[in-house]
Amino acid sequence: MLKRTLFWLVTLIVMLIVIGPLLWIFLTAFKNPNDIFTTELTKLFFFPPTLDNFDRLFTRYPFWFNLGNTAIISVVSTIAVILVAMPAAYSFARWNTGGGHLLFVTISTRMFPGVVAAIPFFIVFRALGLLDTHAGLISLYVYFNTSFATFLLYGFFREVPAELEQAAMIDGYGRMETFRKVIFPLILPGVAVTSVFCLIWSWNEFFYAFLFTRRAARTVNVLISSFWGSIEVQYGPMAAGAAIAILPTLLAAWLMQRYIIRGLTFGAVKG
Amino acid sequence: MDTKSARDKFNHAAAEAQVYASSRKPTIWEILTSERFFKWTLLIPLVILLLIFMLYPLFYCLYYSFHQWGMQGNALFVGLDNYRHMLWDEAFLIAFGRTLEVLAICIIVELLAGLGLASMWNREFRGQNVLRGFALLPLLVAPLVLSLLWNFMLEYDFGAVNQIFAAIGLPKVYWWSPGIALYTICAITIWQWFPFSVFVLLAGLRSLPRDVFEAAKVDGASEWYTFRRLTLPMLSPLIMIIVVLRAMWLIRLFDPLYGTTRGGVKTELLDWIVYRTSFVIFDVGYGSAMAVFSLFLTIALCSIMFHLLMKALGVIK
Repeated sequence: MLKRTLFWLVTLIVMLIVIGPLLWIFLTAFKNPNDIFTTELTKLFFFPPTLDNFDRLFTRYPFWFNLGNTAIISVVSTIAVILVAMPAAYSFARWNTGGGHLLFVTISTRMFPGVVAAIPFFIVFRALGLLDTHAGLISLYVYFNTSFATFLLYGFFREVPAELEQAAMIDGYGRMETFRKVIFPLILPGVAVTSVFCLIWSWNEFFYAFLFTRRAARTVNVLISSFWGSIEVQYGPMAAGAAIAILPTLLAAWLMQRYIIRGLTFGAVKG
Repeated sequence: MDTKSARDKFNHAAAEAQVYASSRKPTIWEILTSERFFKWTLLIPLVILLLIFMLYPLFYCLYYSFHQWGMQGNALFVGLDNYRHMLWDEAFLIAFGRTLEVLAICIIVELLAGLGLASMWNREFRGQNVLRGFALLPLLVAPLVLSLLWNFMLEYDFGAVNQIFAAIGLPKVYWWSPGIALYTICAITIWQWFPFSVFVLLAGLRSLPRDVFEAAKVDGASEWYTFRRLTLPMLSPLIMIIVVLRAMWLIRLFDPLYGTTRGGVKTELLDWIVYRTSFVIFDVGYGSAMAVFSLFLTIALCSIMFHLLMKALGVIK
């Protein structure tokens, strides 16, 4: 009995620690400034909800515009990543092309310190006029996510037995047809999982977005971070913006819970 | 399997032979999708991408790490001066040391929390799926947003944490004071990432063979002994994966700093000092030298990680 109580007590505390702060974003989003900057504990939890923060966010700041930028950049870069990574992963998994060396080079780009690439890209983007454009940021995210996508898809492709493919080819399919009609339907779930991860990485990315965008291509994360300025800190709009911006990622985390661990470990642990 | 692949090679040889027999040159498409070149054709987009986005920055950084340059005018060749300066630059060495400290603290705490909670949750209980769903939520939320959130929650007067502390009789804490801020940042990072090690280890525990543990129980081994001698060794590949992956991510910690201290109050880490040197002070040469150093550090880690991943996927023994 004592053991059972202890089990549930610890579980409850851990859940509170994990969920509490996330809920706090949503609570704060509906508070007026007086309730945000209060020193009365009860007021922190019980307050008259207001939509003022959302109102200010939508009318005074280009929130929807920036959210749109984030969405465009994430979606386009993800599509490009899959188009590059899928054939490559197939080649690596099926023929071990390059004897593992090329695969290593590919994965090492993911581990590149962001700052290493940031300096040269900044210079060349400035010269090409790509600073503060969608195309610039998209190309960076493609580079950044391709290695991850290739490796994750590599794991999924390896689960497809080679015999299936050979059977299809005996039936007279060419390489392209075999891939399109036999392999692709089988790894579709893997492609979906990989796409969602790439979407989320691009959605969450801050360092490059912060360095490479100012106005026209500014992403929502950069807008949210700008509320934490040196003059005043606007917690209300910040929380309102954050509440909306993290919704897609929370939803994805909930729907993909079976695959999160697999994705985060590059396919090594099948959670 | 051999006869099959032989047959499928034969099929294709036959198809290709037809092209040659019809005494016309094969089109480029036919060459690209031919049995011999198809695997390389699939890699063309990737290789182009790597050439542009990997080799260019790499050589660029190497080149400028031997020069002095402020983003304008001509670069001045200075040989190894940047690297020499790095070895004696106290700010850099301190930032590097701090990064290692953060690495050690976060990984150890996450592993301990992971081992504890995973062995606790390694049983069937009601609501276990809901629990997993909730616990995994923070992992995919933008670190920047979370750092802004914690910055607000840990504010001295108005922050929720200090108010709750006061209500239950604990002293209020200056979370962002110079002596504590670094550990506060560690705590934020641990908060976001401990579910990762919990569920990796839980997946490992669930896949362990039952019979060995039953045998140990029959032989009268204590729980602690079983854990130390059976569970830990069997989990060690997973523990290695957690350590290496987390190390790679932690070395590049940047977002949590931006939302909170912005490298102030003694929290400047490796990535931040490179960023500050290159983009705030505009000393691109010196920034590049530090970036190259940071790169070698991660490449070393990455090769270990690659080996572990290939082992886990069953590619190498």
